[in-house]
Amino acid sequence: MSVNRSDLNSTLPAGTAGGEPLHVTVADVRESASQERRDKLRSFLTNWQGVTGLALVLLFFASAIFAPWLAPYDPNALDIPARMSGPSWDHIAGTDQLGRDTFSRILYGGRVALKIAGIGVSVALVIGLVLGMIAGYGPRWLDNLLLLLFDTVRSFPTIVLALATVALTGPSLELVLIIVIVTSIPGYARVARTATMSLINTDFILAERSLGASTTRILAHHVMPNVAGPLLILAAMDVPVVVTVEAGLSFLGLGVLPPTASWGTILNEGYLVIRDTPWMVVAGGIPLILTTLGFTFLGEALRDVFDPRMRKGG
Amino acid sequence: MDTLLDIRNLSLEFRTPRGRVKALREISFPIRKGRTIGIVGESGSGKSTILWAILGLLASNAKVTSGEIMFEDRNLLALSESGLQAVRGEEISVVFQDPMTSQIPVLTYARQMFDILYRRPGMSAAEKRRHAVEMMQKVGIADPESRIDQYPHHFSGGMRQRAGIAMALLTGPKLLLADEPTTALDVTLEAQIIHLLQELKSELDTTVVVVSHNLGLIAELCDEVVVMYAGEVVEVGEVRQIFHDPRHPYTRALLECDPARIEKASRRLPVILGDIPDLAKPQTGCIYATRCQRAMPICRTDAPPVVGLTVSRFAKCHLLAGPHHDPQWPPPPDVLTVPMGESVAAPRTVGRAQGELLNVTNLNVQFQIMGPVSAWMRGITRRHVDAVLDVSLSVRPGETVGLVGESGSGKTTLGRTILNLVPAQNGSVTFENREIRNMAERHFKPLRRDMAMMFQDPVGSLSPRKSVRALIVEPILIHGIDCPDLDAEAERLADLVRLPRPLLARYPHELSGGQARRVGVARALALNPKLIIADEPTAGLDVSVQGEILNLMADLQAEHGLGYLIITHNLPVVRHISDRLAIMYLGRIVEHGPADEIFRNPAHPYTKALVEGVPNPDPDRRRTHVSISGEVPSLLRRPQGCDFVTRCPYAQDRCRIEKPPHSRITPDHDHACFFPLR
Repeated sequence: MSVNRSDLNSTLPAGTAGGEPLHVTVADVRESASQERRDKLRSFLTNWQGVTGLALVLLFFASAIFAPWLAPYDPNALDIPARMSGPSWDHIAGTDQLGRDTFSRILYGGRVALKIAGIGVSVALVIGLVLGMIAGYGPRWLDNLLLLLFDTVRSFPTIVLALATVALTGPSLELVLIIVIVTSIPGYARVARTATMSLINTDFILAERSLGASTTRILAHHVMPNVAGPLLILAAMDVPVVVTVEAGLSFLGLGVLPPTASWGTILNEGYLVIRDTPWMVVAGGIPLILTTLGFTFLGEALRDVFDPRMRKGG
Repeated sequence: MDTLLDIRNLSLEFRTPRGRVKALREISFPIRKGRTIGIVGESGSGKSTILWAILGLLASNAKVTSGEIMFEDRNLLALSESGLQAVRGEEISVVFQDPMTSQIPVLTYARQMFDILYRRPGMSAAEKRRHAVEMMQKVGIADPESRIDQYPHHFSGGMRQRAGIAMALLTGPKLLLADEPTTALDVTLEAQIIHLLQELKSELDTTVVVVSHNLGLIAELCDEVVVMYAGEVVEVGEVRQIFHDPRHPYTRALLECDPARIEKASRRLPVILGDIPDLAKPQTGCIYATRCQRAMPICRTDAPPVVGLTVSRFAKCHLLAGPHHDPQWPPPPDVLTVPMGESVAAPRTVGRAQGELLNVTNLNVQFQIMGPVSAWMRGITRRHVDAVLDVSLSVRPGETVGLVGESGSGKTTLGRTILNLVPAQNGSVTFENREIRNMAERHFKPLRRDMAMMFQDPVGSLSPRKSVRALIVEPILIHGIDCPDLDAEAERLADLVRLPRPLLARYPHELSGGQARRVGVARALALNPKLIIADEPTAGLDVSVQGEILNLMADLQAEHGLGYLIITHNLPVVRHISDRLAIMYLGRIVEHGPADEIFRNPAHPYTKALVEGVPNPDPDRRRTHVSISGEVPSLLRRPQGCDFVTRCPYAQDRCRIEKPPHSRITPDHDHACFFPLR
């Protein structure tokens, strides 16, 4: 840096510039940065959607993680005489056709959901984001190649893909996870690609290029923060979809095998006995609904807080 | 004379999470029948808000707190929605700023114009069509009978604005509102639209309200002027009174800041220091006191008196009456009441004869328009258009070169090509005698420290999720420069561009145009470059602020010996800061020489048109003719001979066949015209 301090002093105007005093120290700036973080937190905490969403998501995580301590019964313990009973003090969510406690099964089923949704969605999100940004920012041939790949994957019905894979490996939870990831990637990648393409000709990306920023830096620092927002919302709304995919595959015997409890298997089993008792469907549906709402609210609130343009006022 | 519209004591606020923003405070002025009223003010003055209040089209968070708008005998603010609907379009209509977005892209003009006449059940479809065609004819659209069946995208920008005016006039409104009607257009088109409005005004018996920040437009078009500042009317008067005898210090300052009014070419422009006050906070005293050079203690505490003879000639200022009356105010016109920036430009530290910093020779940039297959199918041999054609240009250290042209002239492409952001087909670009054209990014990256670019959109060229601090130090991080204290560096750069330090924690969208522009300058300067390419450095800035930015750039140039290539369409502005000018048209440089000489004595007809295209901010010097007609042709339809032949008033047969070569008048002044004007 050959611009030295004396240069600086000579260009400094006497008095004020822009109507505000110049006597501000680093500490003031840091202070305002931490003020900024406090403001973000406060604006999140005063947002009812954010608080509700966070509470529901925490409830989901806590109930899944602490299921062994919270569950009143072993999820696989049979109580044939009390089969298909409605809610009671003994079984607060009733029992299934084998007399297993539905509440305990829901808690344990949450663990499967957490594993599939948490790992599946986040891995798919990250891979989709990276591939999408590369497709959107990279050369035309790479974009076309990736699009071909995404479309190929999407053109497979999930179930057919699962059947084909099961024939090779046999059913397992890991298989469900892999299928969920592979089939979700194109969705994220396409959104990320479109968002990236709308950014590449903006002045600020051009400005970064003119400063000499590398492609990696542009993608990581300037494109990603701007495209990640919609993806997070998509991810939050994808969680329940993934849970239902798991349920569907489990129902077909391609996913989670009985007697392991999952929300999908509870719903499916409940569906078979719905003429006898509605409680299993109700009990299996409620956690799904709450989780969906929780993640959706959380996703929207996070977007509002972290996108500085969405924040109202100055 | 009858009053058509009377705004009385109008106050309006916007409810925002930051509090109530008092956007308009006690606005009163009459609009008399048959007159043209100009409302002039900078951004944030509330001038457009008045228009929306008249039409009842305010944003949902707006609330009128007092006052009335009397249109003939009705109070528009008290009318029901259906009552307003009957007035809108029928009795009061609007010409919008941007014809691109204010016309329906999927309907033909004929259809859009039928729809405007929906309240005329007595008119048959054929009558409506005839009426619409007549109106299109009136606004100067050639062959209206067939063009009316076309869609907006078939029309060029200037034609679209003409069609917009035709649609506004279709119902024969009593009052026509025009919101920045020429801001989205190039200078030569602006001149044409002003001329059209002048003609229509005398032909049709319509009262017109023009809202604009452009003093030249107001001076050419209006009979009366309302000057607004920060939500208040500060001065009202006849156009000659406002331009020749302004009473309010703000009006005076605004006029002095207009570069088109400054005859003397100097490197500094006058400025109004400071920012517009925050209208969410309570205001006491005179609203302009914080920026006024003549502010007295009383100005900050007591509201200024309204001094004037009638409702249509007054100004609000303590200097004009009362105990603080200053008989010396206003001073004679040749006295400058605003400062010319903070410091005087120091003598240049770097001599000009040190050889060339940047040298562009016969540069060509082409854009592919179709793939080989579709070109073959359509039997087209040229698959590209020439965006930049045989351009030669040089910039020496410490020198400012202005590159001037209308949109579509290729000036921005040229700037980006020099910085290796757009590939060039052939020619040469040398920087400090090194060939850099189409250099691999890996080799070019170190050179980016020496060449910086400022982009057109001050806010849009800043990454929206980054704080100002992160944006300013970004170049240092990109080039991996060892910098022990980035915070200190950010502050040093902020001070250098006179950006208040608290703004370092803000985000781009929270900055005003001028502040964002300073951030752009700080980023450009972070690596201490030798050359800065500035694309429209004053675009989107108010007159009072653009001087500050240009003075800042001049100061930095004087200190560091920077070379500037300033790309702009704004001839009066670059004229004051440039050593040399290059005028570009359809990708070619048509004239190139010393700035003063080109401005005073242009050789190329296009340069002359550009010089004359700028409206003169003097109501006594209104133009009576338009110097050039038509618009810049599409690059796809480049004329066979001289590029300018389709619009040139002096074109002759030879011009239509041959391309004129560059010829020299003096060693440093050349042009490309067979029949130069000098």
